Amino acid sequence: MPEAPVARLENVSYYYPGAERPALLNLNLELAAGEVLGLVGATGAGKTTLCLALNGIVPQLYGGRFFGRAAVAGLDTVDHPIHELARHVGVVLQDPESQLVTASVENEVAFALENLGVAPDEIRRRVDEALAAVELDGLARKHPHELSGGQQQRLALAAALAQRPRLVVLDEPTAQLDPRASAEVFRLVRALSRERGTAFVVASHAAEELAQTAGRIAVLSRGGLAALGSPEEIFRDEALLRRERIRPPGVTAAFAALRAAGLTTRPPPVQLEEGLAALRELPPGRPFAVPEAPRDAGAPPVLVARDLRFAYPDGTRALDGVDLVVRRGEYVALLGQNGSGKSTLLRHFLHLLEPSSGRVEVEGRDVASRRVTDLARSIGYVSQNPDRQIFNPTVEAEVAFSLLPLRLPAAERAARVDRALGALGLLAFRGAHPLSLPKGDRARVVVAAVLVMDPAVLIFDEPTIGQDEAGARSILEVTRQLHREGRTVVVVTHHLHLMPDYAQRVVIMAQGRVLADTSLRAAYHAVDLLRTAHLEPPQAALLARALHPDNWALTPEELTASFAAGGGPPP
Amino acid sequence: MNRPSLQATRASAFSRLDFRAKLAVFAAASVAAVLWNDPRLSLGLMLATLGACLGAGISRGYLWLMGRLMAPFFLLLLLTHGFFNVQYVLRLTGHAHLTPLFTLPARLPLVGGMIFSAEGFYYGLNVIAKSMTLLLLVPLCVFTTDPNNLVVGLVRMRVPYPFAFAFTSTLRFFPLLFDEVASVIEAQRLRGFAAEELGPVARVRTYAKVAVPVILGALFKAQQVEVVLQSRGFSGRRGRTYLHDSRLGAASAATIALCALAVAVVVVLRIRLHLGAFVVPGGT
Repeated sequence: MPEAPVARLENVSYYYPGAERPALLNLNLELAAGEVLGLVGATGAGKTTLCLALNGIVPQLYGGRFFGRAAVAGLDTVDHPIHELARHVGVVLQDPESQLVTASVENEVAFALENLGVAPDEIRRRVDEALAAVELDGLARKHPHELSGGQQQRLALAAALAQRPRLVVLDEPTAQLDPRASAEVFRLVRALSRERGTAFVVASHAAEELAQTAGRIAVLSRGGLAALGSPEEIFRDEALLRRERIRPPGVTAAFAALRAAGLTTRPPPVQLEEGLAALRELPPGRPFAVPEAPRDAGAPPVLVARDLRFAYPDGTRALDGVDLVVRRGEYVALLGQNGSGKSTLLRHFLHLLEPSSGRVEVEGRDVASRRVTDLARSIGYVSQNPDRQIFNPTVEAEVAFSLLPLRLPAAERAARVDRALGALGLLAFRGAHPLSLPKGDRARVVVAAVLVMDPAVLIFDEPTIGQDEAGARSILEVTRQLHREGRTVVVVTHHLHLMPDYAQRVVIMAQGRVLADTSLRAAYHAVDLLRTAHLEPPQAALLARALHPDNWALTPEELTASFAAGGGPPP
Repeated sequence: MNRPSLQATRASAFSRLDFRAKLAVFAAASVAAVLWNDPRLSLGLMLATLGACLGAGISRGYLWLMGRLMAPFFLLLLLTHGFFNVQYVLRLTGHAHLTPLFTLPARLPLVGGMIFSAEGFYYGLNVIAKSMTLLLLVPLCVFTTDPNNLVVGLVRMRVPYPFAFAFTSTLRFFPLLFDEVASVIEAQRLRGFAAEELGPVARVRTYAKVAVPVILGALFKAQQVEVVLQSRGFSGRRGRTYLHDSRLGAASAATIALCALAVAVVVVLRIRLHLGAFVVPGGT
């Protein structure tokens, strides 16, 4: 007799309170023990709602209208209270910090067990076991906020695992983590599903990791199930990927491009190892050494840090002798693991922090002599959470707010606001409340609000976090446009695969120091160095390197072009 | 990245005590603070409490902020007692008249000729030291206690678990709220908004705008926390268990006993030997 599914959804539809459009629509899914189901889809496709429906939070906590039947471990998720479902379903959310509710690592893991009335001796056993499973043993007495982002997410996973659930739901668990921390989380998911038979549902934009981890992938679209299949079936379906705005793994995109160019007939692999093996079927290609874009050494420096050191009051040394010069008109990608000092460095340019020692200059002037509010006219800063930068009732008022201190004539103020709104494609939303817009558009509002001050430098701190591929590209296109206008652009990101189309120069930080400061192409092929900084190069670059030691291609298009007669730069 | 927290930054012998033992310390120190009117003893007790706070890892930033916030009130207390507390201080000292420290120039309107007395000054210092001691005892006892132990301690004192949890959650929530407010104000400054250049009305109006993102952020966080709590079986039902149950260790039991003894000694000495009665240092 076949084993009963861990989770089963039958014709599930759900409307949030007051919503006319369903968040989930006629979903039918079954999940077996030990299975890992990946959930993909554009922002707003229904991934988070589905995750919350699996433990009864939707609809029990949120309300709204729920149709059909969802059951986990045989328990109906509407009829059984959430605390009862919690015995069978563990949940890990996107933001590691927001889900930590106690003051020590072991208490965090014990919390659910205490609520469920498990005996203290058994709690102790399970806490030790769960912490060992996520490799956090030895940190039991630490405060959760002392852990790195990756450790915090593993702790949240341990807290879920300690309940010994049959199903663990992870909603964008690695969105805020650097690539190494992200890989650790997915490695654990693979191990736990295999060794313990725990079923996992993982909503994620991390295509490479999903391809390696998920047995099946469900593509959600406007709340409905657009497709369900193996990673190969999903990621090879180019029409589906295009339609649903899903990014395939780099290796799949690379082989799809090679196939389109007639260089191979094999179906694109979805895992890097498979792709590397498949390279043997291809000719070695030619050296593909695109000349490095020369640095414009003549342009005046706009951001300068000299032997910059900074320690937080608790003694954490965040910057340890940073030397950096960013020149006018450059587009610089600032990369590094969580906690490497990137944001701390940027905050010095904005004079939000005082250096422990060293010097910081903006446009040739020592920052120490400038106020934050004056620097705002030179540097526009867009934080990773646009909602913290929005505080006006309309888009127009939000953008105009930045001009208040300048005391401009009304006509000029209106003209500037119109220009900024037009540049960001927001003219149609000028009367809308900024917070009513989708996240991508909210970020645009913040960019417009910064742009209206006409700064020479724009800093984007993790602008692509929590965005799907299309949303991320849309923001980065804005950065490209601003760069083309002659502005200096600095982008902090973990999403290395997005940068080749935009940045010329890469600065890699690790442990408060600049580990490398070079062209993007050189940096992305310095694989060991990237991995030292907990980063992972795009898979196309790894394939290029495996083909030929002098193949410096970075994208599927370049990889394909490297087989063209004579090699050379892509057309 | 630094994250706001009121919790003590390190473990100490004090932080390892059971919450009930800390409450005993709180009670004993409070009794002494209330009974002692000798400014030297009151100041000594305040400094000892401050030392205990620092030793127990209470954030210096928090202590400094507390001092800054209270400074205007303390200044007012000092002025009030120095200038106006005459009869009560005369009764305490048994003197016929007070010792002037200085007299305000007669030409000043309303306050011209007023005398600031040494006795009033010392009594003011005594009141400030008492108040500060009581204020310092709160972080000393609460912030050195792991919120989970605090919960267990409160539950053992028959506070219902949901209330105990809400109390400790609030303690955690406030620094986050302040952090949220600071972030939004910072975002405004990064848009060139210099509050110091505006008039008071415009300043208040602009700062009021902070409320929108802060409330939204707080609501979002509250909802996130509720999702997390419910997902982890939090329901406030009976039958909850505890990984670290609250059992009085030897150190905690000894602390409670010592505190009880200290209270008895302070009370007896105060009544029998008048130890802690108000005196002017160096006076008769």
